[in-house]
Amino acid sequence: MPEVLLQTEALTRRFGALSAVDGVSLAFEEGQVHALIGPNGAGKSTFLNLLSGELRATAGLIRFRGADVTRTAPDRLSRMGLGRTYQTANLFPELSCADCVWLAAQSRLPSSMSFFRSAERYAQVGVRAARALEWCGLAARGDAIAGRLSYGEQRQLEIAMMLATEPSLLLLDEPLAGLGHDEALRIVELLRKVARGRTVVLVEHDMDAVFSISDAVTVLVDGRVLATGSPSEIRASAAVREAYLGEEIP
Amino acid sequence: MSLSLFVLQIVNGIEYGLLLFLVASGLTLVFGVLGVLNFAHGSFYMLGAYLAWWLSERTGSLLLAILLAIPAMVLIGVAVERLAIARLYARDHLSQVLLTYGLVLLFNELQRALWGNDVHGVRTPAALAWTMPLGETQTWPAWRALTALACVCIGVAMRQIVLKTRFGMRVRAGASNAEMVEALGIDVRRLFAIVFSAGTALAGLAGMLAAPLTTVYPGMGENVLILSFVVVVIGGIGSIRGAFFGALLVGLADTFGKVLLPGFASAIVYAVMAAVLLWRPRGLLGPAFEGR
Amino acid sequence: MKRRLILLAAAAALGAVAFSGDRFWLQFLGKAMIGSILAMSLDLLVGFTGLVSLAHSAFFGLAAYLLAGLSNRFDLVNPIVTLPLCVAFAAGCALIIGWLSLRATGVYFIMVTLAFTQMLFYLFNDSPALGGSDGLFVKARPIEGRAAAYVAIWTAVVLVYLLLSRMLRAPYGRVLEGILGNEQRTRSLGYPTRRYKLVAFVIAGALAGLAGYLDATLHGFVNPAQLGWRQSGLILVTVLLGGKGTLYGPALGALLLAFIEHYGERVTAHWNALIAALVIAVVLFLPRGLAGLVPGTRRA
Repeated sequence: MPEVLLQTEALTRRFGALSAVDGVSLAFEEGQVHALIGPNGAGKSTFLNLLSGELRATAGLIRFRGADVTRTAPDRLSRMGLGRTYQTANLFPELSCADCVWLAAQSRLPSSMSFFRSAERYAQVGVRAARALEWCGLAARGDAIAGRLSYGEQRQLEIAMMLATEPSLLLLDEPLAGLGHDEALRIVELLRKVARGRTVVLVEHDMDAVFSISDAVTVLVDGRVLATGSPSEIRASAAVREAYLGEEIP
Repeated sequence: MSLSLFVLQIVNGIEYGLLLFLVASGLTLVFGVLGVLNFAHGSFYMLGAYLAWWLSERTGSLLLAILLAIPAMVLIGVAVERLAIARLYARDHLSQVLLTYGLVLLFNELQRALWGNDVHGVRTPAALAWTMPLGETQTWPAWRALTALACVCIGVAMRQIVLKTRFGMRVRAGASNAEMVEALGIDVRRLFAIVFSAGTALAGLAGMLAAPLTTVYPGMGENVLILSFVVVVIGGIGSIRGAFFGALLVGLADTFGKVLLPGFASAIVYAVMAAVLLWRPRGLLGPAFEGR
Repeated sequence: MKRRLILLAAAAALGAVAFSGDRFWLQFLGKAMIGSILAMSLDLLVGFTGLVSLAHSAFFGLAAYLLAGLSNRFDLVNPIVTLPLCVAFAAGCALIIGWLSLRATGVYFIMVTLAFTQMLFYLFNDSPALGGSDGLFVKARPIEGRAAAYVAIWTAVVLVYLLLSRMLRAPYGRVLEGILGNEQRTRSLGYPTRRYKLVAFVIAGALAGLAGYLDATLHGFVNPAQLGWRQSGLILVTVLLGGKGTLYGPALGALLLAFIEHYGERVTAHWNALIAALVIAVVLFLPRGLAGLVPGTRRA
């Protein structure tokens, strides 16, 4: 029985009268890619924001490695090993790629409250940053300014920054949204590589990508879990087809 | 403290709070709709007071002076908005702070050049130079009562306009979402100019009403500006209702502070603000704090 | 490289003035260099962290007042004791005010720092025990003699510049850069950003305290107006005029502003109108300041 890395219990988030996430209980197992799918407004992004600490839950629990992290701040969660990417590229638009990744890698120093030694002399940070850039195919783009990258490259940089923090759990929020066909293929390959040996929570609309990379799929509708299962079970489920897939896949 | 003195302090506190509300409501409205933090708001208060003094010296009647000064304040508001503030809508807070700070310096110099550095008293109109008894020993001057009444009326009128009219709907839409206003096809330029000059006139009117109470002196706008900031921070920026309660709170805290802890009166107001901030970092009626 | 040479030349020229012994220039340039310390330290917040603080003059004034108090009440002037005490006092106050103010963000932060500044202003202005609106004389100064005080100020400017430029290149400076660019993302990368901002606020406050200490030493006098929000506004103007996000810009901006103030006062009685026009013009037409005119520079 594989270990559960992250678990939610009746997780709920309300905005006024609207329940964006409504009593979601899910378990994410170590080493698996677990996809969340569902129509727009199903609460997938809200759910991710709850997991990463950027939104506070109205009710329910989140456990990470058994510890209650429901009210833990995003920076603590990051240092506990949770990494994430954002739906719209959420970078440092004025910094170079190398500096973005450097900042990410530097966060794993015991403390960055260091005032006198030049940052360049932290060799291990530089090595980790360079490795993450190279992994994501941006080795040659180190000097490019993040805000001026192409959409696809910005996604690569997002992933590189996330990897540079050496996370054990990855939250990916629609990594393929807005990409052209070729760019999407490139990112899917990258995701496949990234997912190897890591635990991933993936929110994505591209069904082909979801079914090809995921080990488990959960369908969210109106903030609730409609079904959870292996990709083939989800594909076969009549209820899921009716509620959701029928509209997206011919 | 005797009962009648206590009642008098309450009355004074509320009255001061209402005057602050006139100033702060303009400040919060301009920030809410235009997104501009206007440090020159206190200067409008000062200009209003100086205009009231200067025009009442000329015309011999404070009421006539006020009637003349209000349209003048509206014109000043339109001019400032068109010439300076309109260039700030897309800029960061730092630019707004500095440009409006430059305006503060400019208005201070203008006041110095036009009217000098002397302190001037303004006489209340003869018809209102009587007092009402309050308890056994205290009295309440009619001008003060009228001032408080005027503030209440303006507050109520503002509420009606904002809640009940088409124009008020646009203001509310502007305060919550500027893009939506554009999408609705509202002339944003005009809306902004109207709101800004209304804010200017409110601050100026507060200065005119206060002129007989506080005398007219250089730098009188700054104290009021800072207190309005405190009011807005306490009430929640952009919220007129918040400004109302914040202003009453500040008015009462300031008045009672002066009686109970002389020497620390001004500090008490800020202590109230610090307490509110600790409890609700976005003010009493501001959007609830969300760790995002 | 060229910039470094200009800075070195400016520093050397300012240092050489110490030997001239001219009373006016020692006083005038000494004051201008104190402005440089204020501007550089405020730029740590405004230009490098994205925090627009109006509390800077408060920490300047608090340290100056403490020096006056130590000197007048306790006959304590020895700089080895008073300097650390005054700077630590400013830092401590910055810690408290910063901790409270940083609960707020954006415009709230601006308004809250402004409110605290005015609270302190009225505290000193209204209480006769603290000198009231006239302020206080510093009976015995830590450093006697204008030339000696000037040398101390010059040394402080150089050290503050070196300290800040070093800090900004260290890991800490990288985090500030991240906060300036995208605070939410910096936080999600694992940095407790509020703590980093608070540390910046305290460092800037301590340096403002240093400036206040030196000012009270040079002039032998403190008054509440030095502590008020208009003073903070003027430091902000210096930062913007010189160019936020650089260290040399604000440092040189302070010198330039001192000259404008000095000669402006001679030309017209309404020199404040001149400053006002300058401020408005810089905001509208030169948002990156004078440093923005230097090609190819981004960071000090």
